[in-house]
Amino acid sequence: MTEQEDNDTNIHQGAEVAVALGKGLDVGTANLAAAVQNNEGGITVNVERNAFLDIPSDVYSKNMLTKLKVPYVVHNGKLVVIGEAAFELANVFGRETRRPMADGLVSPNEQDALPMMKMIIQKILGEPQQPGENCYFCVPAESLDVDNNVVYHQGLFESMISKLGYTAHAINEAHAVIFSELAENDFTGIGLSFGGGMANACVAYKSIPCLSFSVARGGDWIDKNVAGVLGVPRSKAAAIKERGIDIRDPKCREEEAVAIYYRSLISYVLENIKSRFESGQNMPSFNEPIDIACAGGTSMVGGFIEVFRDEFAKIDFPIPVGRIFRSEEALTAVAKGCLVAAAIGEE
Amino acid sequence: MESVTKIKEELSARSRTATLDQLASEGRKRVRLVRAEHIAQMISEAVHSAVEQSGLLDQQEVDRLVEQSRSEFKGVLAERQQEQAAHSELTARCAEQETQLEANEEQLAALRAQCQELTESLARRQAQLTELQRELEAAEAEAQQAQADRASQSAESQSAESQSAESAAAPAEAPATGTQPAMTAELMMSMMQELATLKASMATGGGAAAAQPAAAQDFTAALDKLAGTLNDRLDSIGKKVGISAAVGGDAPVDFGGLFKDDGDESVESNMENIQVKQQSGGGIAANLAKLKKLKGGG
Repeated sequence: MTEQEDNDTNIHQGAEVAVALGKGLDVGTANLAAAVQNNEGGITVNVERNAFLDIPSDVYSKNMLTKLKVPYVVHNGKLVVIGEAAFELANVFGRETRRPMADGLVSPNEQDALPMMKMIIQKILGEPQQPGENCYFCVPAESLDVDNNVVYHQGLFESMISKLGYTAHAINEAHAVIFSELAENDFTGIGLSFGGGMANACVAYKSIPCLSFSVARGGDWIDKNVAGVLGVPRSKAAAIKERGIDIRDPKCREEEAVAIYYRSLISYVLENIKSRFESGQNMPSFNEPIDIACAGGTSMVGGFIEVFRDEFAKIDFPIPVGRIFRSEEALTAVAKGCLVAAAIGEE
Repeated sequence: MESVTKIKEELSARSRTATLDQLASEGRKRVRLVRAEHIAQMISEAVHSAVEQSGLLDQQEVDRLVEQSRSEFKGVLAERQQEQAAHSELTARCAEQETQLEANEEQLAALRAQCQELTESLARRQAQLTELQRELEAAEAEAQQAQADRASQSAESQSAESQSAESAAAPAEAPATGTQPAMTAELMMSMMQELATLKASMATGGGAAAAQPAAAQDFTAALDKLAGTLNDRLDSIGKKVGISAAVGGDAPVDFGGLFKDDGDESVESNMENIQVKQQSGGGIAANLAKLKKLKGGG
């Protein structure tokens, strides 16, 4: 699941694209991303932050939001600002955004946020090009470290996407990373998705998933802890994390805190993966070293893959590993993988 | 007695000790010795004589004072001895209590460790129990779905075959088509009973575990055995109904009702006028080609 905003230059505003059939949707704790093929041989990904903020409703505010092109919905008599704008406003006013999802799944505390989430998904997915067009959306695997159940989450989004006119299919989030990043390896290797709420792992052999699991820590866990030690709101901690820092070379106390918790997260995830692999249940064996592909918004911070390699070198990993790399399109890799699954399903 | 001791102390303090050789070297070959008791007696007699001669106290008064002093001294001495005895007794009791306290603390620590271990064990077993119950419910749902499917298929098959039987007038086939649905229903009933029994036995196991944390070891063994039995039975049920997914526990759940009413509502929003951010990415043609090749299609 994705988490951070990409700052690269290929961001456009609302370009119309002609597409082939099939759409991929990354249902992330922090970001929602929908991918579609364009007529230039590439893909176009619509991204929106999965957050909202309610403010008192009045005519002046509505006009101002519309002028500023800030998306809002009037819900229960309140003005609800949606997406990235909610995150920015929350930081300006020193408030916390409301989050429809937590720890990779629909948040039990924000059930009334589902209509807002549906509107965002409708906006980024658009109308189906033909009724029943395939839409593959990602779901997390069950966690090693907490007791969670993805059945409700999966069923909920299947229903929501079907309601929009698509044929909904679920795909494991880390499996989508393998579809996106490990084509050169015949889709054999380990896909890791570092999202906002979770870190997901999948081991696949020739595109077939052999083992999938997750740990319930991600970017939000870093935000929570950084906010705790610095005494700031979580959205502020997220903004510090996403302002382009390098966790190998923190420049101030705030960046130091982010770097410490990043290293702790990576270490925790690796230890859990190692432990799961060592347990030997359903473990495939490989003759050749396999590659590890990392993706997800939380992996976009500077120095992530170097710290990951440092921490990886400290553990005695039970599987021979070749290359460890981060996706060049880490934020959108999961959506892209979902799109690959959808497109192959349409053929 | 006391005066003699004091006199001895005074004499020691005001006298010096010398060896016989030292005395000899000083030219003294003979020395006169006097016992400390005699000195005390002499002092006592001298004091008595002085008091008598002073005329301040008569002999009887002196004797009375001496006797009273002795009596008081004895009283004070007895009091001190009692205090000493009481102190010794208290010290002994205190040591005994400290020993007992240390033993109690050790016992408490052992009990706490045992309690922690049992609590953790219970939590693990409860998690296992929850997981098993979830699997059981999923399997039950699958079985019900399979039952419905089978019933539907059987009804269709029966209808088709009865039509065929009527047209072809083949009486030998009639009993065979009639028994198939009955057998399926019987099989499904038996499976449902099996599931219900399993669920009941699991519920009993869970209750016992909550009520008797001390018997966690026995409960663990029983639960493991139950889990093994449950897996075997679920496997056999899956095979019976002909769907391997029944063992996986991914029962499809219809959540359509959650969004039943909200689609037609007119919500005030400016979402139509807002353009979402778009990013371009590399194509997926190579990925699709590889996948097709793997699937043998390219």
